[in-house]
Amino acid sequence: MNLFISRDELIRWLDQLLRERILAAPVQVQGLTLFQPISKVEEVTLDFGNTTLSPKEWFLPPTETLFSMQGNDGHPQLVPSTIEKDAVIFGLRPCDAKGIALMDGPFLREPGDALYQERRARTSLIGLSCRQVQPECFCTSVGSAPNDSSHVDILLTEIENGYIVQVITEKGKALLPEGLTESKEELPAPPELQAVPTKEVTQAVREFFDNPYWEQLADRCLHCNICAYVCPTCYCFDVRDYPNKGNPERVRSWDSCQSTGFTRIAGGYDPRAAKGARLRQRFSHKLLYFPEEFQDIACVGCGRCVKSCPVNIDIREVMSDLQQLEAKSGS
Amino acid sequence: MDSELIQQIRYQARDLLESGTVKGVIGYERASDGLTARPFFAYEPAAVERLIFDETCSHNLARYLVDKKNEKMAVVVKPCDSRAINLLLNEEQIKRDMVFVIGVTCPGVVETSWNHKDEELQARCKTCQLVEPPVYDFLANGEAVERPQGEPYLDVQQMETKPITERKAFWSEQFDRCIRCYACRQVCPGCYCPECFVEQLNPLWVGIRIAPKENELWQIMRAFHLAGRCIGCDECERVCPVDIPLSLLNRKLEKEVKELFDFQAGLNPEEQPPLATFKKEEKLGFEE
Repeated sequence: MNLFISRDELIRWLDQLLRERILAAPVQVQGLTLFQPISKVEEVTLDFGNTTLSPKEWFLPPTETLFSMQGNDGHPQLVPSTIEKDAVIFGLRPCDAKGIALMDGPFLREPGDALYQERRARTSLIGLSCRQVQPECFCTSVGSAPNDSSHVDILLTEIENGYIVQVITEKGKALLPEGLTESKEELPAPPELQAVPTKEVTQAVREFFDNPYWEQLADRCLHCNICAYVCPTCYCFDVRDYPNKGNPERVRSWDSCQSTGFTRIAGGYDPRAAKGARLRQRFSHKLLYFPEEFQDIACVGCGRCVKSCPVNIDIREVMSDLQQLEAKSGS
Repeated sequence: MDSELIQQIRYQARDLLESGTVKGVIGYERASDGLTARPFFAYEPAAVERLIFDETCSHNLARYLVDKKNEKMAVVVKPCDSRAINLLLNEEQIKRDMVFVIGVTCPGVVETSWNHKDEELQARCKTCQLVEPPVYDFLANGEAVERPQGEPYLDVQQMETKPITERKAFWSEQFDRCIRCYACRQVCPGCYCPECFVEQLNPLWVGIRIAPKENELWQIMRAFHLAGRCIGCDECERVCPVDIPLSLLNRKLEKEVKELFDFQAGLNPEEQPPLATFKKEEKLGFEE
């Protein structure tokens, strides 16, 4: 049974949620749409295709302290960071929710990442299905859909006078306001998307590891970190200890396989110093190594990298090129 | 029907590749949106048919010459981009005989993002004084276009009138958004250090945190490193995924250098950049 919530009721609900916990929602900031903790419901925008950065930063922040060392009497204690409040992420798209589900693979597999685990357990996801799709979107080609409810606790779908509410999990049920009635309307059909073939792509990446294709593609790649940082499934990080005035702390920050020195090892050797090798790593991780470990390819079709890449390295084109190489070699 | 300008670029590129004068031609091709442009490397004569030029060709392709410094390459440049070639020659990052410059007379370019292009010219094009590139081997000549000649430092001057607290607050707000993706650095023709100071880990110059203090340090150091060297292509601002107005900062420093030394980078390959030279008669400001 699906429920219905009017726009006024939604505002009251969000207002109630933000009093009890951290409520992160899409906010317009200088022309960008970003997930930010809000203090007033009026800050929320629902008029967006997708946010500029993905909501992954709520589980893997750009920078966080993992633990600090306290006590300088010769017996220092490690004090792990903790999460202060429960949180709700409101308004995330189904593709981004799948991105979080994919990050669960590396972060929750034993031994899980303690901070990620805690954030994940204490955060609820209220998704917003897409009634319109963007030209860069291709979620249906990578196992998601504009109305995919599999990775959220509650999914809202906008209809004329409000939203249809699908309660997916017990966690979602606990968040619901009282007094919502059954929806009289059926869920609308999701918008259609152009298909991007991905069937042979994992095999093709494996087979064409040494193909000159990668060096050629890397010619125009700038090797900035935009694609990795806007991506809802890229999760590489760097770790560093800071003195912090006698209470040293261990910090982790986002990092990317595109940056120079990402793979540099002791002694200075870098096995992926070549531009092509670095670019291949990005796609190999997404399309080959990740599915080998965790089944799905590590792309949710949000199209952020397509939209943000300054030199138009388009993952759909890369997948298509690789599969064409595969088709040619097979014939 | 492709424009006369495109025909000229393709003709020249084909000739250079067929004769073996260059190993490759760095130009523009249509992006995957079918609307805007992206950089393209042509290594075969047949590939020159993919070369285009139009108002969406914003990228400064001179940046790629440093990657390809050991191979003779041709590069398609707008007048503004060609200043980067002069900068790189001046700083001895590339050799003149290893580059064939295909200059274009430029009608100005528009803001683009994937699947989108503006109607209006980019701000920098509205104040651009250059019709022809200051350096070229072949000039692809388009139709002459009259451009409005605006004041290039209007926004800088407006900023200068504001109290320091206000300016500080403005920039803090901008830098807080920075995600240290380094796209501004990677796209910059003047940023070619084999190891950037932010990547020097031993000792660590700038912390790895993506946080206000570190972001600010990164952005200020980046801007200062380009003082008197920035050639004003504004590529850093175009590629910034969080829309930090980097051009405003760069042009403030450009204006200072212009006022102090009457110098603008990249206009003349022979003229030494003032901040890279020292003259005995120059006052240091703390003597006597």
